[in-house]
Amino acid sequence: MPGTSTDDSTLPSEASSSRFTRTLVDDYLAEQQRLQTPVQRASEAFDRAERSATSWSELIPLSRPSPGEQYAFEVDLDRCTGCKACVAGCHSLNGLDEDETWRDVGLVVGGTRSQPFQQTITTACHHCADPGCLNGCPVLAYEKDPVTGIVRHLDDQCIGCQYCVLKCPYDVPKYSGRLGIVRKCDLCHGRLAAGEAPACVQACPTQAIRIATAKVDRTSGTPSVDTSAFLALAPSPDYTQPTTRYISRRTMPANAAPADAAALRPQPAHWPLVIMLTFIPMAVGTLAPAISAGADPRLALIATLAGVLGLAASVFHLGQPRRAWRIFLGLRRSWLSREAVVFGVWFPFVLVFAAFRLTAAGHPSASRLAAPVGIAAIGLGVVGLACSVMIYVDTHRRFWRLSQTAPRFFGTAALFGCAAAFAVQPTIAAAISAGGVALAKVALELRTLRVLDEDEDEDRPSTDRKTALLLTGALRPVFSLRMLSALGLAACAVAFTAGAPTTFARWLIPALALSGELAERYLFFRAVVAPKMPGGPSA
Amino acid sequence: MTTGLEPWLRARQGPMTQELLLKPADFGLGQLPTRLHPDATADTVCGFCSTGCGLRAHLNSAGEAINLTANPTYPVNQGMACPKGWEALAPLHAADRATEPLQRDGTGELRPANWPSAIAAFVERFKSIQQRHGNAAVAVLSTGQIVMEEMALLGALAKFGMRLSHLDSNTRQCMATSHVAYKQSFGFDAPPFAYSDFEESDVLFFIGANPCIAHPILWQRVMMNRRNPKIVVLDPRATETAMAATLHVPLRPKSDLTLLYGLAHLLVLRDAVDHAFVDAHTSGYEAFAAFVSRFTPQVVSASTGISAETLERLCSLIADHERVSFWWTMGVNQGHESTRTAQAIINLALMTGNIGRRGTGANSITGQCNAMGSRLFGNATSLLGGYSFDRVSDRAHVASVLGIDAALIPDAPSLAYDQIVDGIERGEIRGLWVIATNTAHSWIDQNRFRRLREKLEFLVVQDMYATTETAQLADLVLPAAGWGEKDGVMINSERRIGRVRKVSRAPGQALNDFAIFKLIAAAWGCGDLFTEWSSPEATFQLLKRLSAGRPCDFSGIRDYAHLDELGGIQWPFTERDALLTENEQGRRKNSEGGAPPPERSGANPAILPASGPSHPHSTFSILPSPLAAPNAPRKGRRLFEDGRFFTPDERARFYFDAPREPPEMPDSEYPFFLLTGRGSSAQWHTGTRTNKSEVLRRLAPRELYVEINPADAERLKLGQGVGVRVESRRGHALAVVLITPTVQPGQVFMPMHFETVNQLTFPAFDPHSRQPSYKACAVRIGRVANP
Repeated sequence: MPGTSTDDSTLPSEASSSRFTRTLVDDYLAEQQRLQTPVQRASEAFDRAERSATSWSELIPLSRPSPGEQYAFEVDLDRCTGCKACVAGCHSLNGLDEDETWRDVGLVVGGTRSQPFQQTITTACHHCADPGCLNGCPVLAYEKDPVTGIVRHLDDQCIGCQYCVLKCPYDVPKYSGRLGIVRKCDLCHGRLAAGEAPACVQACPTQAIRIATAKVDRTSGTPSVDTSAFLALAPSPDYTQPTTRYISRRTMPANAAPADAAALRPQPAHWPLVIMLTFIPMAVGTLAPAISAGADPRLALIATLAGVLGLAASVFHLGQPRRAWRIFLGLRRSWLSREAVVFGVWFPFVLVFAAFRLTAAGHPSASRLAAPVGIAAIGLGVVGLACSVMIYVDTHRRFWRLSQTAPRFFGTAALFGCAAAFAVQPTIAAAISAGGVALAKVALELRTLRVLDEDEDEDRPSTDRKTALLLTGALRPVFSLRMLSALGLAACAVAFTAGAPTTFARWLIPALALSGELAERYLFFRAVVAPKMPGGPSA
Repeated sequence: MTTGLEPWLRARQGPMTQELLLKPADFGLGQLPTRLHPDATADTVCGFCSTGCGLRAHLNSAGEAINLTANPTYPVNQGMACPKGWEALAPLHAADRATEPLQRDGTGELRPANWPSAIAAFVERFKSIQQRHGNAAVAVLSTGQIVMEEMALLGALAKFGMRLSHLDSNTRQCMATSHVAYKQSFGFDAPPFAYSDFEESDVLFFIGANPCIAHPILWQRVMMNRRNPKIVVLDPRATETAMAATLHVPLRPKSDLTLLYGLAHLLVLRDAVDHAFVDAHTSGYEAFAAFVSRFTPQVVSASTGISAETLERLCSLIADHERVSFWWTMGVNQGHESTRTAQAIINLALMTGNIGRRGTGANSITGQCNAMGSRLFGNATSLLGGYSFDRVSDRAHVASVLGIDAALIPDAPSLAYDQIVDGIERGEIRGLWVIATNTAHSWIDQNRFRRLREKLEFLVVQDMYATTETAQLADLVLPAAGWGEKDGVMINSERRIGRVRKVSRAPGQALNDFAIFKLIAAAWGCGDLFTEWSSPEATFQLLKRLSAGRPCDFSGIRDYAHLDELGGIQWPFTERDALLTENEQGRRKNSEGGAPPPERSGANPAILPASGPSHPHSTFSILPSPLAAPNAPRKGRRLFEDGRFFTPDERARFYFDAPREPPEMPDSEYPFFLLTGRGSSAQWHTGTRTNKSEVLRRLAPRELYVEINPADAERLKLGQGVGVRVESRRGHALAVVLITPTVQPGQVFMPMHFETVNQLTFPAFDPHSRQPSYKACAVRIGRVANP
């Protein structure tokens, strides 16, 4: 008999008496563990209907995109009611990890008392015409399919640097701690190629998601698409040219806002990057006072050690460091690739410079060569730092704009240069410079709080305001540490101009610089507002 | 770079790529990651809500489910599922599954025990309570979440074996109102509709229902309606469903009864009454028409906040359309006058003849996966099979089918859930056995139940998890296997009996509820009563026999395999219906084979068995010939197509009562009206299962929120996302603010899935159904520093 055979599922019969026995428990436990095997079930599947291919015909294009076109999601907002089956269906049909989802459903609310409005928004990768993830990847782990335009991620190529996570304004690539790489929606390219609908399309009970084609304009330097049907409340499409179309017969009220518009989400600290971006500027900055002929050789040693520490930390940031040798591949487009290559070249110069400097006492030729090698190292270091700056500027995140990032990174280098110089050879000039740089940096950083004095809609805070609220709210202890370190440093500098410090006390200035800069770099990562698609309430 | 270097420089293949690589799988599943390719599949019915979706478990070579998809051939959901369905397997593998019995020791700690000692403690403690305080001093709180065979065995064990008087279940919290309303109005608890009615209506009224979130797959069926239907939503909130509607009627909370009477009055005035139907098939119409005459548009407008124009428009929508269907859920069922409200809906359908035809009906969408099974076989309010405890002939009949002494059957129904709780307070009930429900979270005015726990001498909780709020209070925890780890059937909202299958091994010593009940029966000394209940399927045969001749007659279902063959089967399904179906299928096979259909072979009544004891109108008709296309999902069948109801005179009744104000209204001290309800499709009730899926947790709000109108937020100076304390006279909850005009000024909404919400709710109950009124209490709101 197909299905459960009676013999199989019959529970053990009881003893004629109602006497309770251990045997009965054992029998039930054994029965509980018994499953029908596929062989037993084979007869059931014989006649099973195939998933009808025709049912997808309205939801996926009948043919591959023509030249100048690509596949794109099209969401009919009037049909999306927020059931979120698309997220779960994608998860199950693609075999994602338990804590991994490639799609998300958010909520927009607004309207008036007489005309209240809410709209759920399903969203996944927008398979952008000019993808931020792809442009930023240092190892070319992203590729845009030349025919379908699907932005695919090469999982075995990825080094887990997560720069794509920072580059994508829609929070699409998801980092997997288990694998040490990111993964993302690939528009179920395999299913589409076989005439099947992508998982989310298959799973939507109301057919709100379909696959359409979008025209891609490649006449100008960067590819672009018509983004007029992109969601108005999403991050601006100008940056990456997302292809998803959100269509609706309703007009969204002017006051509509994402349900999570006011949510403050501190971003990951990325500790290895905090350390790297503190110690590499320290190395570059310390090289400057180290090159002069009479400079204390300890400065070269400090620069070298800082360089080692910074570079080593950068490796710990990677989920797959053994694949990192490919990092030069992205030179043409990725600032991260450029940074890695420049600092890769820079570091041998630092080592050679330090070797010359430390052996200069007995070898005049070494002393003579040290300066030009040192100057080259400084030059490369500055270029490298510029690349570091551009890595963050290129994410288009507001807090990481050039006018904030460049002074911070180069300021760190200058501060450590002055602080180290002071520590090995206290001069009034070095003390005043260190104090001055520290105060100037703090002044720049405090400018980010000015927005709090402005009159803003508290329910829809700007990104600047959110950063300021984070710095003075959840991140306040670290922000205080940062400020106290800088002010303490300045106070010490003033105090030391009055009288020469002790050998121990002169290291107070670099120590305060270190605590202040580590805190500042930590806040740099945590207080940034990461753009994303509208989210749900208390999501 | 040269092509020669390319493969070396760019790793397009490798183990990580392989992990997600899709390949065509067997069984018509399309492409799946190769590591998830099944060796077989098994079809089962979802165990969350009453929609009753078909799910297809993907099995490995050991027969264990490794993945799951929605069943494309099941008539209910046609290949779709909500997130809970997709994630149905995840809760089975939760780390906090109860894997062994736990007993509270002298120090008050729950400690592991073995089954024999746990069962011995159960029997000893409960018998001791019964000896000292009478049989009724031990009571049972059951569930709509277990299979029907288990429900029936529990009901029989508790009442006939353990001789308890009081067993009620959490279906009291969701479905009691519909049960009573139908029973009084139609003569039997018989939701009359099929899901195909969603697709065939011209006008759909959703009253206190938000199917977009609560029953997404039913909304799918609405979206499949090709008749360009008008959709009306009666709800104080502008819900997701209201947004998708043609007309949203934001009436004041709990003013629905008045509004429905007002509509009836307008229909009478307009003479939009189907007099032929009313005269032939109902009784009590004249009195009803006279009663509603006082509900003039002015009166109704004043108490509902809905304009006279809107009332006229609603009236026109009913009067001017051929097929009008009315659908209600918890907004109606959970109210202080809910039974009359449900019956006011039924009255509208009756007076306009919108029943027994395609796309019509007064239709209650049920809550839990097997609430409908519980209504028939829970053995609480009704005797097994929908019989009456207080009728001698019914007791005798049930006793004879079961082969037991009729004297074992109590002659009165159980106390209701709230009355059991009262009984605990009065000290009359001292032992409590809770199965697959989470009273300490879900019961209205939750703090009271937690206080009363101290009055219980012995509390047994039988659940999949020892971590539920209720299990944490227990003296004895019995570890249960869950959905997916056992066999049985459940009945969905459209009366479709569907099969649930064991596709996963229960962890540790967990046992299915059926086996636990059998163990208890044996240890109690009443095992002899249940020899015929040897397995779930044997029990199903017994239940079939109990159903024979009842409106819910499903004696035509051969066995579990029959349910598989037909994609679930709606009751009624008599032996005669079974034969007709067989013939129909035979005819279809022949016509597919190219041969002309044999002359009336299937429809010849001569070859049908006599109807025997079956209900006079075995309502067999399959609409509309659904088997024309191979594998086309079978459409549904509806009741009352012949206008004959289940009352003795076969006429439906009009029930009505004057509306009353809810017992707790906002005042100056507690100025807000608190509405509660489902907040997301990813959460189910108290979250004991849905919180165990990482995916569902991501799809649900992370913390409790309270929706508040912008005007109120501004007045209270509350910003978006700030923390507030929501306080009622009974307790408080901390939440974050979500400012939205979808709630009206003076009202706030909170999702029910968070534990603290029921510390706020007011314990009001409908007098007929004893269902709690969860959606009406007064609260105040104040800002707190950190939520």
